[in-house]
Amino acid sequence: MTPYDHRWQRLPAHYERAVAWRAARIPDPAARLRFLRSWTGVERPRRTDWRRRSALLLLGFLFIPPPTVSDANGTLRVATAKILEPADHFPNVWLVDQKPDYEVFSNGLRVETRFRVRYESRKHPVYAIASDSADPLEWRTAPAGIVYHTTESLQVPFEPDNNRKLKRVSENLLNLVRDKHSYHYVIDRFGRVWRVVEETDMANHAGYSVWATAREIYVNLNRAFLGVSFEAETGSPATPAQIHSARILTDMLRSRHRIPAANCVTHAQVSVNPSNKGIGYHTDWAADFPFQDIGLADNYRRPVPSLYLFGFGYDTSYLESTGARVKTGVLLAEERLKEDATARGLSVSAYRARLQQRYQKIVAGLRPVGGSEENDGNEERK
Amino acid sequence: MKNANDNLIGLDIGTSRIVAARRNGEDYRYESQLNAFVRIPFSKMTLNVLKKEQVPHVVNEQEITVFGNEASRFADLLNSDTRRPMTRGILNPNEADSLSQIRHVIGAVLGDEKKNQKVCFSVPAPPLGYEANLTYHEATLKGVLEEMGYETRSINEGLAVIYSELEDTNYTGVGVSCGGGLCNVSVAYMSVPVTSFSTPKGGDFIDSSASAVTGELSNRIRIAKEETFHFNGHFADKVLQALSVYYDDLIQSVMHGLKEAFQNSRNVPRIGKPIPLVLSGGSAMPPGFRDRFEKHLNDVSLPVKFSEVRLAKDPLNATAKGALVAVMAD
Repeated sequence: MTPYDHRWQRLPAHYERAVAWRAARIPDPAARLRFLRSWTGVERPRRTDWRRRSALLLLGFLFIPPPTVSDANGTLRVATAKILEPADHFPNVWLVDQKPDYEVFSNGLRVETRFRVRYESRKHPVYAIASDSADPLEWRTAPAGIVYHTTESLQVPFEPDNNRKLKRVSENLLNLVRDKHSYHYVIDRFGRVWRVVEETDMANHAGYSVWATAREIYVNLNRAFLGVSFEAETGSPATPAQIHSARILTDMLRSRHRIPAANCVTHAQVSVNPSNKGIGYHTDWAADFPFQDIGLADNYRRPVPSLYLFGFGYDTSYLESTGARVKTGVLLAEERLKEDATARGLSVSAYRARLQQRYQKIVAGLRPVGGSEENDGNEERK
Repeated sequence: MKNANDNLIGLDIGTSRIVAARRNGEDYRYESQLNAFVRIPFSKMTLNVLKKEQVPHVVNEQEITVFGNEASRFADLLNSDTRRPMTRGILNPNEADSLSQIRHVIGAVLGDEKKNQKVCFSVPAPPLGYEANLTYHEATLKGVLEEMGYETRSINEGLAVIYSELEDTNYTGVGVSCGGGLCNVSVAYMSVPVTSFSTPKGGDFIDSSASAVTGELSNRIRIAKEETFHFNGHFADKVLQALSVYYDDLIQSVMHGLKEAFQNSRNVPRIGKPIPLVLSGGSAMPPGFRDRFEKHLNDVSLPVKFSEVRLAKDPLNATAKGALVAVMAD
């Protein structure tokens, strides 16, 4: 790098076009610059007052002229072109050695299998975005994505003197995870990767939840996505060993199941509460998930699908518990919802009601999520 | 009701002028002062005149220091030269009083109110081919402003020009600020600075070089440059001819810099579409400068194509405005 170069990384072409298009519709120069910086990742001083920042960002969006109403009476259809997916490059990782208690992979990943357990076989529905039908487009058995969790379990100080205690706590945790079929993988604090529920089976990790790609919607991700949990609790960062292991584990899973990077997301991004129509019933990894360190794009910047596809809402306590990056996804989803409502000649509340109806129909066709499947210790969702 | 933007200031700290930009409703307003000072012998009468005329000054035991716009007039009256706190874009290492004087000039530009105000000030880019240490310059100005009670951040001068003038291309393009001490160049792609550099030739270089070859005083050269010079082929007047030669030299050094920056930088993106180049600063103001610059640009082979070469809407205030846009976007 020459002395006059700046650190700079180009956005994927699809993102770039979308960001440029949207920026061009922001008339205020400072708001436009703020929007571009937020998407291009330019370094700038941190602002602690996130409420103001979010409000300004939202204000910027409000200045965007609405699309022309041309199909107000059309069927409920969300334009797929609005979600732009960068081309995915899948890592190439293969199994090298398989022993009774562990497996070794070509990227150095070692998976401990001493706690592995079978559960119900995976089979999950996929719904089309470009449709208002509550019937699945198709059923699949391959995992479509990964949801990252924290175990929110007892955290012994991470110090050499506590080795025995740390190992004992991890082992107790793994026993519990095995009994409850909570996750497919647990990464303990030393970075050891434990397979618990087999990848071919569902696990009780995500409960009521929603995620989507450009064309497909996944509902209740216990069956559709793999659950990878860090032995950690919210507020205390993952250890460097855990982050390294999460990276090579993610590479292995993406290689094996052809999982798009955009489908590697956190529990807080997907979790919903059908009773109050709110997002973020669970808030693990609502902030500071190290997407980049794990070799993924910052998926916090993706609009939250439950908001713009099924009309879920959120309250201020949710925003307060999340980081600025998640808030960007929430604000983008809100903007998307408004645009889609305008394009149909509907008020936001009327459009939201239609989206919620579709969600209710879809959920009615699925098996109810019990307390154990929600993985929160409650018997049933109130 | 006071708007949040009322507390934000863009500050162009240039070798020859210091300009402050503030938001004024939907518009911008600017204050500027010459970045120079002159010392005159103390007399009560002079002091009274300065007070009456509201000329920025400070009084020592034996002398009065006049700074800002009036420094030039007083220097003419006393048949002496103004002293400069800055040279070639940075604090003047040969001027013992540079720090105290620049503090006064900045104070005169910014006014009294400091509470909760945030200033984004311009800093030059490193000169091509040098590992110039700009840390001292930037840290010192930051210290001066913070001592005065302002919250601060800094911005590269060329990037500020882009933020001021290239909104229509989502802040993609090249910004060139032709100032008194340096020409600052920055390339940005969708607001992200990709590469930036400076060339050590600005208005002062033209004045001193033309003065050396014609034997005229720098002051006369400067007046000729600002009042009568324009790009128009060959001049019979040797001063104007010399100015033309050294303007060409300045432009050539920017072309050389652009070529070197694009060749050596690993970061310059492949930009499919032609991008604009915008010129600003006092040295870009002579009639015909834009055309001359464009002609030179067409003669040099660069990996990007230019859609247009344009002069900033307000060349003397563009850097300050861009700095204000940057701090408003934080």
